Amino acid sequence: MVSKTEEARVAVLENQVDNGGGGAWEYLCLVRKLKLRRSDKVLKHGLSILNDPGKRSSLGPEEWTLYEQVAIAAMDCQCLDVAKDCIKVLQKRFPGSKRVGKLEAMILEAKGSWAEAEKAYSSLLEDNPLDQVILKRTATMAKAQGNLSGAIELLNKYLEIYMADQDAWRELGEIYVSLQMYKQAAFCYEELILSQPTNPLYHLAYADVLYTLGGLENLQSAKKYYASATDLTGGKNTRALFGICLCTHAIGQLTKGRNKEDKDSSELQSLAATALEKDYKRIAPAKLSSLTSTLKSLNLSS
Amino acid sequence: MAEDLVLDTAIRDWVLIPLSVVMVLIGVLRYFVSKLMRSSSPSPDPKIIKEGQVVVRARNLRAAANFIPAKSFRARKAYFSNEENGLLFVPKGQAQNPQAQMFSDPNMAMDMMKKNLSMIIPQTLTFAWVNFFFSGFVAAKIPFPLTQRFRSMLQNGIDLSTVDVSYVSSRSWYFLNLFGLRGLFSLILGEENAMDDTQKMMQMGGFGFDPSKSQFTWRVVEDDDWVSSLKVVGDWSLGAEKDSLDIVQHDWALPKFEQRAEAVLRKLVSDH
Repeated sequence: MVSKTEEARVAVLENQVDNGGGGAWEYLCLVRKLKLRRSDKVLKHGLSILNDPGKRSSLGPEEWTLYEQVAIAAMDCQCLDVAKDCIKVLQKRFPGSKRVGKLEAMILEAKGSWAEAEKAYSSLLEDNPLDQVILKRTATMAKAQGNLSGAIELLNKYLEIYMADQDAWRELGEIYVSLQMYKQAAFCYEELILSQPTNPLYHLAYADVLYTLGGLENLQSAKKYYASATDLTGGKNTRALFGICLCTHAIGQLTKGRNKEDKDSSELQSLAATALEKDYKRIAPAKLSSLTSTLKSLNLSS
Repeated sequence: MAEDLVLDTAIRDWVLIPLSVVMVLIGVLRYFVSKLMRSSSPSPDPKIIKEGQVVVRARNLRAAANFIPAKSFRARKAYFSNEENGLLFVPKGQAQNPQAQMFSDPNMAMDMMKKNLSMIIPQTLTFAWVNFFFSGFVAAKIPFPLTQRFRSMLQNGIDLSTVDVSYVSSRSWYFLNLFGLRGLFSLILGEENAMDDTQKMMQMGGFGFDPSKSQFTWRVVEDDDWVSSLKVVGDWSLGAEKDSLDIVQHDWALPKFEQRAEAVLRKLVSDH
């Protein structure tokens, strides 16, 4: 997790670097340390350091780390020529290195030559069958080829060992959602909530899945998770507010006629509806009418 | 109180400065030697990695149990701690105590020995060297007075109670250097590479031998190389984690959140 102070520091440095101030190297170090994805910025500022022989040599042995960082950023930005140049330099310096081999496989993957990339990855895996990065890359490669069930299989195999890896759980959850396997997706999001119980986005995603699954019990849980997402974001999340309204409506549909629904929950949805109206009035007054008609159709208009 | 001692400048030139320089050089040398001896870590055992991850996940489950529905919690609990094939379940008799496990793994004992050797040998040698050549010097004077308590720290090797405490003996200068040069090393060798002598001392001190204590010391090493520390944590913590998971009471926190969300929204709606 990136802490608040670090986030602020990144923002300050980014601003400074973007406006031509110094500190590019510090910024790159921080990005690398926090594992942020700022590929365009890394590419731009990293290259400006690498293209300046004086600056480059002043880094000492860190120079090679920078080459690696820039290479990966360049692949992310599809500047394959730059990446290739970086890798070539690294190759010259460290012939036969596994770490450079990884980069070579990645550039094959970035180019889209799947078969070759797969071969490269599997030969790397032979040496170190537990390499986290490579295992993840193979899974994403399967996903990139549209082979979602293959990606699921690989991710499951990966999570068998590295079962505390949040990113993998999130990826798996998203794939399951895209395949409409909501029960499995729900499990993944539960896992994410467990690892970060105060992250409202996970609550929201879990609520979405539960709402989609349907059924009275799931809808009630979904409403609770929308409520917690609302609470954790301080009522600023529009999606969570809509979620509360929709869940209440759906629950009302299901329990229609039974009339044993306690009244205290109705307070929440009318509040959510009011909050929504207020937000729309402030931010998008033009769309207010369509909101009121939507809410009216849900019998929620205040 | 004794008269002010006048220190010969030759002492500065031939004791104080050489001692400091030698300490720095030895620190740098030791860094490179330990770098040489550090065996390239062999690919870690999948079982060990998995155990570490299981423990992390179970700990998450325990900490955030109240954030998932009861049904999901029960399923997970069963998955972790059932008596047949639960992930945290360690069959009786198979549980090794960490020490035994440590010594049964030759690689690990080897690593330990290398680490300890790389610090004990040079330290013994330098200490002997300092003792032989520089014992009994009053090497420096600090510019402020100190209380008697500091005598053992600053005047190691001089058994004179009449000398003012602000004089530093050569042997004490050695110790001050030994513990105080860390900042300098982190400047010379880069932040992460600085040898943390104090930490290593702690490690060594904790190397004797009740399980709870060694648990603690190994946690200290954790950031250093987590894989080997995981090896030690191993089975022992699986069982402990299972026990603490068994006593977790599930109390779904989400119903409370509805009320809290209501309060939040009410506040949001009411203030204009």
